[in-house]
Amino acid sequence: MRILVSIDDTDNLESRGTGEIASLLAKLLEEREWGKAQVITRHQLLVHPDIPYTSHNSAMCFAAEIKEQHFEEYLQLARQFLATESAPGSDPGLCVIVLEQLKNELELKEFAFKAKKIVLNKEEAYEVAAKTGAYLSEHGGEGIGVIGALAGAGLRLSGNDGRLRGRLKVNAPTGLITSGEIKQQSGVEVVQSTEGQMIADDELIYLGETVKAVMLGGRTTLLVFPNETEDAKWQTCTKNYLKRF
Amino acid sequence: MWKVNEKGEKVFSLGKEAWQEAVEAASVCLHFNLDDDDELVSEEERSCYNCRYRRWIPESFICLK
Repeated sequence: MRILVSIDDTDNLESRGTGEIASLLAKLLEEREWGKAQVITRHQLLVHPDIPYTSHNSAMCFAAEIKEQHFEEYLQLARQFLATESAPGSDPGLCVIVLEQLKNELELKEFAFKAKKIVLNKEEAYEVAAKTGAYLSEHGGEGIGVIGALAGAGLRLSGNDGRLRGRLKVNAPTGLITSGEIKQQSGVEVVQSTEGQMIADDELIYLGETVKAVMLGGRTTLLVFPNETEDAKWQTCTKNYLKRF
Repeated sequence: MWKVNEKGEKVFSLGKEAWQEAVEAASVCLHFNLDDDDELVSEEERSCYNCRYRRWIPESFICLK
């Protein structure tokens, strides 16, 4: 079966980040050979004085394939893990969705995109979770992380939000590499310009310091923009540009 | 570069796009601590914009140190 696992508000200023916790949750699944996790995406939620986030208010989510007979066990393990590994003072929330059982998908996505624009509350999150069949749980503090956790799952489901955790692993000693080679080395599915133009596999790209992918159209995507030198027509985007995802 | 808000918090008064000033502020800060890689937004690593102790607010960030 296919699942989404999303978490929010697991950290404090001095602890490891929510991304690392998500990575450990994915590892728990794979170490037991219960399933295979895909990339982790980071989803930016609303920054607002009424929301008690740690420093940036983002949720982390990954999709995974899991053997059906291990689902319940994994769900319990993930809940226990979040309760014990989240930082003191945090308000962790966990959302797990079985995609084959998902109902009212549109409502989930609407909730998710609203969480980027307006302040939502726990009651609204639980209401949407009940309608969609999402497993939503709190694991300490005020538990308000359930709002972001549910939103993170909806945003990942949309396929059009978030940037991938970590940097793409690309080896190009000269800094120049073809689009096709980037895809082959890193596993990124698409290389396209910020204006939406697909970059052919034989086109050269200049790699900047940051080589990070985003989720667009349901595919992991490396965005590039026109480069002004003669060596390559394209170059990777800056961190500043990518922060909008 | 800094102002104090009604809660007594230290707010960076230049907003979210003052890249050079955020680098300058971090260069003299004793508390600078680089955040997780996924939260970095400035190309210049030592910048208040990349610091673990900055808390983003709608118009700028609060320094928590």
